[in-house]
Amino acid sequence: MKTFLAMTKRNIKVFFKDKGMFFASLITPLLLLILYATFLAKVYKDSFNSALPDFISVSEKLVNGTVAGELFSSILAVCCVTVAFCSNTLMAADKVSGARKDLFITPVKKSVIALSYYVGTLLTTLIVIAVAMGACFIYIAVNGWFLTFGDVMLLILDVFLLSLFGTAFSCIINSFLKTQGQISAVGTVISAGYGFICGAYMPISNFGSGLQKTLSLLPGTYGTSLIRNHALRGVFAEMTKENFPPEVIEGIKDSVDCNIKFFGRAVSISAMYAIICASIAVLIGVYVLINVLDKKAD
Amino acid sequence: MENIIEIKNLDKSFKEVHAVNDLSFNVKRGELFAFLGVNGAGKSTTISIMCGTLKKDNGSVVIDGYSADTDMKKITEEIGVVFQNSVLDGVLTVKDNLYSRASLYGITGKEAKAKIDELSKLLDFENLMNRTLCKLSGGQRRRIDVARALLHDPKILILDEPTTGLDPQTRKILWQVVEDYRKSKGMTVFLTTHYMEEAADADYVVILDSGKISAEGTPLELKNKYTGDFVTVYNADEERIKSLNLPYEKIRDAFRIEVKDTEAARDLIVAHPELFTDFEITKGKMDDVFLAVTSKKLVGGN
Repeated sequence: MKTFLAMTKRNIKVFFKDKGMFFASLITPLLLLILYATFLAKVYKDSFNSALPDFISVSEKLVNGTVAGELFSSILAVCCVTVAFCSNTLMAADKVSGARKDLFITPVKKSVIALSYYVGTLLTTLIVIAVAMGACFIYIAVNGWFLTFGDVMLLILDVFLLSLFGTAFSCIINSFLKTQGQISAVGTVISAGYGFICGAYMPISNFGSGLQKTLSLLPGTYGTSLIRNHALRGVFAEMTKENFPPEVIEGIKDSVDCNIKFFGRAVSISAMYAIICASIAVLIGVYVLINVLDKKAD
Repeated sequence: MENIIEIKNLDKSFKEVHAVNDLSFNVKRGELFAFLGVNGAGKSTTISIMCGTLKKDNGSVVIDGYSADTDMKKITEEIGVVFQNSVLDGVLTVKDNLYSRASLYGITGKEAKAKIDELSKLLDFENLMNRTLCKLSGGQRRRIDVARALLHDPKILILDEPTTGLDPQTRKILWQVVEDYRKSKGMTVFLTTHYMEEAADADYVVILDSGKISAEGTPLELKNKYTGDFVTVYNADEERIKSLNLPYEKIRDAFRIEVKDTEAARDLIVAHPELFTDFEITKGKMDDVFLAVTSKKLVGGN
């Protein structure tokens, strides 16, 4: 246990002392927030207003709150995974530097080292995500706060689960990386691509039905939807209070992926949690298996 | 003396490259063992197999009675390794590096502090403890590498080209510490080096070429077998040296004549007393042995 704690501490220290690694992780969510707030917020707002029937009048605060909730969910859904990948570059960097070899010539079990990478990455990811989440909450508070304490708690839970998911995913992928070039390439692909396939950059409802079905097979989709549901729950409650027709609210929910369908069947919130938890368990299992089967240090 | 390392019929291939080819040798407990070979001869592959970071294809590796097939955990408790390049964390301080590595051997808290303090005094880096590793000079970093390898008092210290690129003073300090440790704790040292004068101090030498042993023995045995003796004559006339009809080399203020062995040197001097008024007889150097055995010159050292 002492060895595990010492190695986890070492991984966290290396992450925070390696300024490149730390700032690359931190800059992703902050950059996304700035880009969303600067460019996309207006697009989302216009698109929301134009989609509403003419007979419905909506307060500016409610529109802004809706857009802010959508941005909040998009940014955090992406960052829980991309930040995990940035934080976890140490795992591959240790192979490049030879540090991994130094760890493996000791009596400590490989599983302890593997677990320390996982926990170290998870903690650093959570720290960076907490900063991003704080910034996002401030953004929501400025634009239109409709969240309850329960919503905030559920959002923290969602982000925690998605970070567990992202960390396990990054551990598996990084297990196979051996060069600096591969680390950079994977980081770029994940940063550029994950936001699209999880429905963060663009709601999945905008895609064709074939692609929608394919994306519904990916667990990250449900992580995004969970965050979005909880980030917008207060907004929808306010819409109900302001006598929005239920079909209009459902239409908005469909358009922003709060209602997700798996091959035509609606997926409930509890089912989404089950999918994410099962995915985390499977990914950690695969990671353990990779380490058990790996007979040599790289 | 009993064997602490026993390697029999070791084989390792990487696709078409046969890196280690039916290699067998023993290392005696407490000795300084030199493992020589040009780059790609199979030295690092053998070390990696001994450390358990690489799987062998065939053969057996037994270290201090433990088989690498079944008791690798025990073996890792007995060996300390100084790698060719520093593998510690450049962004961490010396102290953080040593504490984190000590924990890998279950050495934590007061025990770790005592051991690290002892090594910092011994290797003279007490004033570097809070410095970031990547900001240290090559020699300073090497001292930390050696300290890391000695954290758990290993029975065998594997030094993989430990002094390449170091200044003479740092090399001297490192060897002093290693020798003190070897003598006081009965530690075995397994050395690969490009510096032939370091190999000349070894108790036993194995020269590896293309994954196989080309020659082995004590430095004296190897010198006797693979090189002749040399008579260095000072203040002599080159025409007279030439008339001896023996191979010679002109050096700054003398001539170095190569003879078959010490007996031939004695006969030569007795036969020409007027020529050999100021002279010395020396054995061939390990460089000559290496060159004679492998027909290759070691790159990277002197």
